[in-house]
Amino acid sequence: MKPTHIRNFCIIAHIDHGKSTLADRLLQLTHTISDREMQEQVLDSMDLERERGVTIKASPVRMKYLASDGEEYIINLIDTPGHVDFGYEVSRALQACEGAVLVVDASQGIEAQTLANVYLALEQDLELIPVVNKIDLPAARPDDVAQEVEDLLGIDAADILQISAKQGIGVQDVLEAVVTRVPPPEGDSDAPLRALVFDSHYDVYKGVIAYIRVVDGEINKQSTLRLMATGATFEPVELGVFSPNMTPIDVLRAGEVGYVATGLKTVRECRVGDTITTAVNGAETSLPGYEHAKPVVFAGFYPTNNDDYPELRDALEKLQLNDASLVYEPETSQALNFGFRVGFLGLFHMDIIQERLEREFDLDILATAPSVEYEVVLRSGEVIRIDSPALLPDESTIAEIREPWVKIQIFTPEEFIGPIMELVTKKRGEYETMEYLDKSRVVLKYSLPLAELIVDFYDRLKSITKGYASLDYQMDTYRAGDLVKLDILVNGEPVDALAMMVHRNDAYSKGQKLVSKLKELIPRQLFAVPIQAAIGKRVIARADVKALRKDVLAKCYGGDITRKRKLLEKQKKGKKRMKMIGSVEVPQEAFMALLSLGDEE
Amino acid sequence: MSACEAISIYIHIPFCTTKCTYCAFNTYTNQESLIQPFTEAVARELRIVGSSAPGTPAHTVFFGGGTPSLLTPRQLDAILQAVTDSFVLAAGAEISLEANPNDLDRDYLAALRSLGINRLSIGMQSAVPSELALFARRHDNDAVVRAVSAARAAGFDNINLDLIYGVPHQTLDNWATSLNQMLALQPEHVSLYALGLEDGTPMKRWVERGQLPAPDDDLSADMYELATERLTAAGYEQYEISNWSKPGRACRHNLQYWYNLPYIGVGPGAHGFAGGIRYSTILNPQRYIRALQNDAADCPFPLTPAVAEWTALDQRGEIAETLIMSLRLTRQGVERAAFARRFGVDLLDVHGETIERFARFGLLSVDDERVRLTERGRLLSNVIFRELV
Repeated sequence: MKPTHIRNFCIIAHIDHGKSTLADRLLQLTHTISDREMQEQVLDSMDLERERGVTIKASPVRMKYLASDGEEYIINLIDTPGHVDFGYEVSRALQACEGAVLVVDASQGIEAQTLANVYLALEQDLELIPVVNKIDLPAARPDDVAQEVEDLLGIDAADILQISAKQGIGVQDVLEAVVTRVPPPEGDSDAPLRALVFDSHYDVYKGVIAYIRVVDGEINKQSTLRLMATGATFEPVELGVFSPNMTPIDVLRAGEVGYVATGLKTVRECRVGDTITTAVNGAETSLPGYEHAKPVVFAGFYPTNNDDYPELRDALEKLQLNDASLVYEPETSQALNFGFRVGFLGLFHMDIIQERLEREFDLDILATAPSVEYEVVLRSGEVIRIDSPALLPDESTIAEIREPWVKIQIFTPEEFIGPIMELVTKKRGEYETMEYLDKSRVVLKYSLPLAELIVDFYDRLKSITKGYASLDYQMDTYRAGDLVKLDILVNGEPVDALAMMVHRNDAYSKGQKLVSKLKELIPRQLFAVPIQAAIGKRVIARADVKALRKDVLAKCYGGDITRKRKLLEKQKKGKKRMKMIGSVEVPQEAFMALLSLGDEE
Repeated sequence: MSACEAISIYIHIPFCTTKCTYCAFNTYTNQESLIQPFTEAVARELRIVGSSAPGTPAHTVFFGGGTPSLLTPRQLDAILQAVTDSFVLAAGAEISLEANPNDLDRDYLAALRSLGINRLSIGMQSAVPSELALFARRHDNDAVVRAVSAARAAGFDNINLDLIYGVPHQTLDNWATSLNQMLALQPEHVSLYALGLEDGTPMKRWVERGQLPAPDDDLSADMYELATERLTAAGYEQYEISNWSKPGRACRHNLQYWYNLPYIGVGPGAHGFAGGIRYSTILNPQRYIRALQNDAADCPFPLTPAVAEWTALDQRGEIAETLIMSLRLTRQGVERAAFARRFGVDLLDVHGETIERFARFGLLSVDDERVRLTERGRLLSNVIFRELV
């Protein structure tokens, strides 16, 4: 196919604004899949994605479309992950396109993450095709929303398509707009090969399957290939396109989208954003924008049952095959024994991984409260990075502690400005700007320590704005802060898995809340158990779990002694899920206590 | 089982005039018309068990419920006749009957005596009117006083009174009142039960819905300690977690359970343990009665057509149950020599580490002869039992 008849585009949309439904309709309309094969949301292949209605792994699909000009076009729809945690992956997917269809819900208008992705698309010079979706719903106000898009993006409201993907209204117009408005791919088919890896997955038989957009030259099965950033070389095992299933072909030329099975054993050798070229006579310079996606949120993952440690290790290994941004290393905790310190792109990423471990690998996981990575400047001048509060060196050796900050944007109806301001201030945020999106909606911008964002910021934001606000963030710089390590002692013993880094000003109130929360969560034991919060050697808060006095079966006659024994056996099993700290039995929830402290005084 | 080992016989009477708000036992109201056919079914059940192990000696009989005092003397007589026909009832056997104080008038008591019933267990529960109302008991405290004195007059010299503590809204003073009233009646035997919130009872529903405060465990512990003190001062000996008696007046029937020795259970929803088998009978009285009209020719001891479930107890289960039951016996505890004889292993070889740990926490006392619950261990016994199962 000549590049003039190729169109590469993606769809940008907020969760629930109808991206998947639109994609389904496009596949049906182009007969890429028959109605019989039509399965809701074909592109989202993981159960978890379908349940949450978001895309985690992008998957491209190639469609053939006979346009109204009588010509046949190859249209590649490159799906993008729908969550802010995967911003880098979104940017790579966008780079593989020349155009983007922006889907906005006709009743809700544009949301924070959508706008962030729109800006990314504009940075890459993508042709933007705004579409107002769900015009069939009673609450739809398509003209207002189109006007909002015009105000924000400077696109004439008259050019904005109004559709209902669900009802199939206006879907054909979307395809026509893609053909007429998205420019054909540029690129030099005679130049040395340069293909962008915008995603990948792992296949047991074929190794890492790289999803690629050929920018220059052509890729075939004969040449040995090389990844320019990692330096890995490989003989392609298979070349093909997604239509939507993987279909082998002989060659992919400049402008085309498809896949190459690399035979490589780990996704780390074939990272998103890397450039594939030929091992011999390859390109001089790689495509721009390659980054190593770095984890920003860390948590300890421990098997509930210590015997499951090898299973947890194997499961993480398997997940990492598909997810280059997942990092982990073994970690030992006095309280929780053997587990892993796992790094994530964000809290959502952490959630997904934990759920996949539990669902796909049938593991019971105890996750400690998430932490960020701190930079600790020692008095010796050395700078170390710690991703777990337990690793903080002795206070006397520390010159300075720096923590990561983020820039956040909050889109909200204006009536919630006050509560949001209050929340951000409590969370040590700094106000930057406020702009009106339209008459009643504003975008607020702040700087905020990442550590405050990951605890319960998002939930609190949703709750104080009745779910109306949306949030986006980008990593910013590290800043020095007056940070201290808050230790929690249970029965006099510090519990490493409960230690946390806090701002000195918050230490007292957080310590108070945490010990009271733990007092509720830790059941009464055979002896009184003091729970203390301490900074260094100084105890700043304390609560006592009183000794248990009564746990008795008052009546026990011949009757049903066996039934009572079985009941005791069941209770005994339940207790096995507790973790022993010294001689204190601590339930699992206690280790997540600091996530649910709340801010209510 | 060996034929020479004396068994105990439990007879479950599943009828009540009203159902108490805390009760989850297998009892039914408004089923009085079933009492007569039930009586005949129980007699048949006894004869079936007896005929499958002829000559089995029995040394205690216990009419429990429900409300056994709803049966007429004639009905009780029919059942006792079946007992004596089917088993070799020892001379001086302990024959107990649970009774509602309202049912115990002079004539009824005299009839009970003449039937050979020699021990009464009276459901006093409380002397505080508001507590009795909460329980929906149909008696008041005067009824208990009248019943006990009438029983004495009829010649009963072995009376048990039950009380319940840890009741919503109950204060330590209320509890002391009930204890004092009870002690004034000078029963030979006392059972004190911490209120349990059982599934399906109104009491549990009320607490779950927040209409009643949940029992306070610390206050219950205080009540238990107060009772222990008062009863000791009044000359009672504690012999089980919830039971006290005057010297020599421990309930022999209940001891059979706690020694994990064999007993037959008859009547709807009764449990039995004999020949290494634990079994229970059909719960529903009508179905129970119908089942006993079936042919019983091939039932091996101790089963009958009324048995709904049974299971052979394995050694691990038997050890666990023996330990739990023996530890409940606060004075005797687990006799180490007897344990070794019965199971062929030393107790400390099986559970040494656990026993040592709880001894360190002051919940168990261990000497060469026995392992016993300490005073504190009694109220925390489930903590220990959980480690022994």
